[in-house]
Amino acid sequence: MILEVRGLTYRYPDGHQALRRIDLEIREGERVALIGPNGAGKSTLLLHLNGLLPETPPREPSVHVGGLAVSAPNLAEVRRRVGLLFQDPDDQLFCPTVWEDVAFGPQQLGLPEAEVAARVGAALAEVGLVGFEERLPHHLSRGEKRRVCLAGLLACEARLLVLDEPTSDLDPRGRRELMGLLARLPVTQLLATHDLEFVVEMCPRTVVLDGGAIVADGPTRTILNDEALMLAHGLERPHILRHSHPH
Amino acid sequence: MRPALLSPYRHGTSPVHRAAAGAKLAVALALILLTVMLPRGAWVAYGAVGMAVVVIALASRVELRGLIVRLALLEPFVLGVALLALLGPDGPHVFAAMLAKSTLCLAVMVLLTATTRFSELIGVLWRMHVPVLLVTTLALMHRYVFVLLEELERMRRARRSRTFRHGRAVTWRGSAQVAGQLFIRSSERAERVYLAMCARGWRQE
Amino acid sequence: MHIPDGFLDLRTAATAGGLALVGAGLALRDLRRRLPPRRVPLVGLSAAFVFAAQMLNFPVAAGTSGHLVGGVLVAVLLGPAAAVVVMTAVLLLQCLMFADGGITALGANVLNMGLIAPASGFAIYAALRRLGGGTLRATLLATGFAAWCSIVIAAIACAAELAASGTVAWRQGLPAICGVHMLIGFGEAAISMLIVAVVARSRPELLAPEGSGSAPRRATVAYGLFATLALVVFVAPVASSSPDGLERVAERLGFAGRALAHDAAPLAGYSLSGFSAAPAPLALVIAGAIGTIAAFLAAWLLARVLAPAVPRPQPR
Repeated sequence: MILEVRGLTYRYPDGHQALRRIDLEIREGERVALIGPNGAGKSTLLLHLNGLLPETPPREPSVHVGGLAVSAPNLAEVRRRVGLLFQDPDDQLFCPTVWEDVAFGPQQLGLPEAEVAARVGAALAEVGLVGFEERLPHHLSRGEKRRVCLAGLLACEARLLVLDEPTSDLDPRGRRELMGLLARLPVTQLLATHDLEFVVEMCPRTVVLDGGAIVADGPTRTILNDEALMLAHGLERPHILRHSHPH
Repeated sequence: MRPALLSPYRHGTSPVHRAAAGAKLAVALALILLTVMLPRGAWVAYGAVGMAVVVIALASRVELRGLIVRLALLEPFVLGVALLALLGPDGPHVFAAMLAKSTLCLAVMVLLTATTRFSELIGVLWRMHVPVLLVTTLALMHRYVFVLLEELERMRRARRSRTFRHGRAVTWRGSAQVAGQLFIRSSERAERVYLAMCARGWRQE
Repeated sequence: MHIPDGFLDLRTAATAGGLALVGAGLALRDLRRRLPPRRVPLVGLSAAFVFAAQMLNFPVAAGTSGHLVGGVLVAVLLGPAAAVVVMTAVLLLQCLMFADGGITALGANVLNMGLIAPASGFAIYAALRRLGGGTLRATLLATGFAAWCSIVIAAIACAAELAASGTVAWRQGLPAICGVHMLIGFGEAAISMLIVAVVARSRPELLAPEGSGSAPRRATVAYGLFATLALVVFVAPVASSSPDGLERVAERLGFAGRALAHDAAPLAGYSLSGFSAAPAPLALVIAGAIGTIAAFLAAWLLARVLAPAVPRPQPR
C-alpha cells in the first residue's frame, strides 16, 4: 500500500471546512484520477499527502505513505517519497537553470555531487529533456517547464507522483507529450484534473471529491458513465464515452 | 516575449564567453579601477584602455552594433552627472575627462554583462561568502523578474482595454492599481514558492 | 540617482563601500534573525517586484515620466531590514546586469539608495505614523512624506560624495542635485502612497505589522541613527570647506571659467535669490524649508483624498 488516508479532516483558519473524513487507499503501480468541481478540496487534499498541510504537523496522523506516518519527524522522508507537482510550474521551477532545479531535491537530500549529477542526467533523459541543462526557465514553454518539474521529482526517486492539474494550459502537442510520458513512467500516480478525456484514456480508477468528501471511488468507466452522478457533482459525462468511436 | 529581450546577455561560444565568471569580473574591475585612477589629462592612457576594450569586444564575437546601441542608451546618465562638473572651476576640462573615463568604464560593464550570465555572477558572490539570505534573494529575484514583467504587461493590457478616458490622473491611478495588484500577486506567489521549496525538502539553514 | 563609474575618487568610493558593507551586513543579520522561513521567498519576490514596478510610467509633462525608486514603499510593506536587503539586491542586479550604476560606485549607490533612503525613510514613517494614531490616513501621510524625505536625503548624500571626490563643487552640486530630487520626491511620495492605498484596501494584512512595545521603536531609532551617521561622515567635511576658497580658484583661472559657472544657471535655479556665483546659505535653507513644508502638505492632502474620514456614528 503506497498511500493510506484514514479519516482525514481539515478546517481552514477562517473556519471553512475543507475536508470531511477522507478515506483513501492507493496501491503500488496504480494510476488514479481525482476529479471534482472547483472548490471541492482537491488541492487541499493533495497538500496533505506530503505534509505541507496542516500547518502544524498532527500528533495523530491520518496519512501514511508506504507505511510511514506523515508527521513531524518523518517529513523529510515523506517529501522524498511523495513527489508533488504544483499546478503552476513557475511556482515550482524556482532555480536559475534547469540543471540546478532538477538537482535541488537530491542536493537537499545531502547526496554527494557525483550522485546528484547522475540523477539529474537520468531524470532529464526520462522526461526527454537531454541538452536542456543550461536553459533558463523563462525561455521554456509551459510543457517543457512541467517536464522539468517532473524531472525534479523523479530525481528524488519519488514512489508516488501527485499531480495537480497536469494538463491545464498545455497546447495539444504538450498534452500528448505529457500523457505519453506519464504512461511510460512506472511510478504510482494520483492525478487531480478537470481533463476528463485524459482520465478515460489514462486512469483505470477514479475518485470523485465534492464538498470536501469522497462521493465515489471506483472504475473510471463506471463512474464517468454515470451521467446523474457526474452532473450532481459539477461534472459531466465526457464526450469520449458518449459516442463509440470506431478506432 | 518582450521582457525576455530585456536581458543584455548575448549567448556565444567565444573564449570570452567561456572564461570563468569570476575571472571576467576581476578583469572588468581591474580595468575600471585603472581607468578611475588615471589622472585628468591622460588621454593616451584613456586611448589604451579603449583599445583593450575594443580588442576584448572583437574577441567575444558579440554583435558590435548591439553593444554600441546599449552604450548609447546608457550614455545620457553619464552625461547628466558630467554636466554638473561644468558648474565648478575648470569646467570644460573636468567635464571632458569625466565623460571619457565614465564612458570607458561603461563600455567595460556593457561588455561584461553581454558575455556573462547574471546567474553566474551570483555564483561568484556565493563563493565570495556573501550571506545566504542575500544570495537566495538575488537568485529568486533574477528568476522571477521576467515572470513579473510578463504579469505586469498582461495587467497593463487589460487595463488599457478598459480605459476610455485618458490623462495623467487616470494613468497614475491605473499604474498604481497595477503595481499594488502586482505586489499582492507576488506575495501570494511567494507563499506557493515556499510550499514548493518545502515539498522538495528545503532545509533552511 | 545611480552614480556611474569615474565620478567618485577611490577614497570616497572605498569609504562609502565600507559603510554600505557594514550597514547591509547588519540588516542581513537582523533580517535573518527575525524572518520566519515562510517569508524568505517573499524577500526575493519583493525584489523582483521592485524591479518590475520601477518600469511603470508615471507621466509628468511633455513626454517625460517619473518612476518609482521604492525604498520607503518596501519598508512600509516589509519592514526596514527587508527593505535594505531588497534594495541592495535590486541595485546589484541593476549594476551587474544592466550597467546601471558603476561597479566602483556600487558602495555609494547601495549606501544612498539601499541604506540611507529606506532607513531614514522608515524612521520618519514610523514616527509620523505613531504620531498620527496608526490610522490608514496617518499611514498614507507618513508613507508619502517619508518617501519624499528619503529621496532628498539620499540626494544630499549623493551630492556630498560627488563633492568629496572633487567632481562637483558642494556649493553648486548640492542645490542642483537636491533641487531636482526635491521635485522627483513628490512623484515618489505620490506613487508610494497610491500603491500602499491599493494594498491596504485589498489586503491590509500585508502591511508590515509594526507591533507594540519597545523593540520596533529601538529598531526605528537604530535605523535613523545609522542614516544620520552615514550622512554626517560625508556632509560634514564637505560642507565645512570654505566656499570662498573655491570661488577664488575660479577667479584665478581666468574669466572664462567664471563665465561658464554663470552660464550654467538653469540646473540650479531653485534658490530664491536666483543663481549668481553661488547661492547664499540662508536662501538655501529657506528654499529647503519651503520644499519640505510643501511636501508635507501635499502628502497630507493626498492622504485625505485616498482615505476619507469615516463618519462618526451619531449618538441616539
